[in-house]
Amino acid sequence: MLERAGVPAVSICTDAFVVPARAMADVYGVPDFEFVTIPHPIASLDPTEIDANVQAVIAAVVRILTGA
Amino acid sequence: MEPAIELPVIDIDELRRVMEEYSERGWTDGLPVMPVTESYVSGFLAQTIRDPDEVLLAMPHLDRECTVRTAAINAAMAGCRPEYFPVVLAAWSALRLEGYVERAIWQSTTGTAPMLLVNGPVRERIGLNSQGNVFGSGFRANATIGRAIRLTAINAFGLRPHELDQATQGNPAKYTACIAENEERSPWTPFHVEHGFDVQASTVTAMTMRSVVHIEARHTTVPEQLALDLADTIRRTGALIHETISACIALGPEHAELLAHHGWGKDELRRFVFEHSVNSRDALAAVGKDAVSGKTRWRLSGAHPDAVPDSAAGSDEVRVLNSEQALQIVVTGAHNSGVSAVIETFGPRGGPPAIAPVESAPA
Repeated sequence: MLERAGVPAVSICTDAFVVPARAMADVYGVPDFEFVTIPHPIASLDPTEIDANVQAVIAAVVRILTGA
Repeated sequence: MEPAIELPVIDIDELRRVMEEYSERGWTDGLPVMPVTESYVSGFLAQTIRDPDEVLLAMPHLDRECTVRTAAINAAMAGCRPEYFPVVLAAWSALRLEGYVERAIWQSTTGTAPMLLVNGPVRERIGLNSQGNVFGSGFRANATIGRAIRLTAINAFGLRPHELDQATQGNPAKYTACIAENEERSPWTPFHVEHGFDVQASTVTAMTMRSVVHIEARHTTVPEQLALDLADTIRRTGALIHETISACIALGPEHAELLAHHGWGKDELRRFVFEHSVNSRDALAAVGKDAVSGKTRWRLSGAHPDAVPDSAAGSDEVRVLNSEQALQIVVTGAHNSGVSAVIETFGPRGGPPAIAPVESAPA
């Protein structure tokens, strides 16, 4: 939605939602839509574990945002 | 030898081929569906003055919609008789009025199901069960009207499990969930009349629900004891995701009679249960739900970085209902024991229920 409005964006979801995320991308006509995945779950993690997840994917987020 | 009864002659291989084809295409809830033809569907469309292309419900985020024709095809596949179709149409109107479906609730991990409640003369006209085993099996109208909604969710909106339907566990009502009020054994005003409809009107009420919780209270003749059992079930901490919840009390006729015998009406029951559907702050803290998230208003521990106080901050008594109107009351089932149920509905609510009239079929 943001990208269609001209704003670069990255979707991040946990690996439990890869199949529905791919299905939604199909619905929107962009089957090759690139998104970043992190391990499930998130809701029960403490701040340190969240930080570790962020560190692990930050390079991928930047790569998608900049189209590198 | 002549057969004892005359059975219709069909080509079973052909029938099986069609059913397997529907199944392979994913057009089912897992059970076999009724094959449909244009002429079969036209029988359903003849039950309404509505345009077959009228949109009943849209999901803009999926760019998909359900029209009168799509609803008719799926009602036929579900095994409805054509004369059930006005009830199916009213169900779609009620679901649209309720507003959760368009906001993608059927894709949620919560795994809700649409519970339909039917009132009025249409119950008798099409054989809707209200008098025993109401949440169970055995009655074609109940079974297939509820199933018509599920098949439409699957076939018109593409909400298949493991794909766009992300339910973690779902619930059994996702196959079908259509009950009727036992108005004849209720000591009180029927549900639809309580909400402003004529007693001769037929209506469908939609309730997005999470579970049906069984209440055993065969032992008591004391209204407060029964009402406390109901309140204890409604306030259970496991039900709390948002700050507050909502529920429909499905009273067995025997329980309704007990209450009425002691002068309780629906308003008295509602008020008592509202006031007693309360948890102590300690009980909430024990399960880590003593505060809410400042972002989502979902319950979490007061120690969480996103935690802000809930609406009952400063009080040791925390209500699970935001108002008496978050509680609906219906009488349903057999008059044969002290059994009732709490239908745990989705969302905090507090406004009027989502009720749509069943339109008459063209003469």
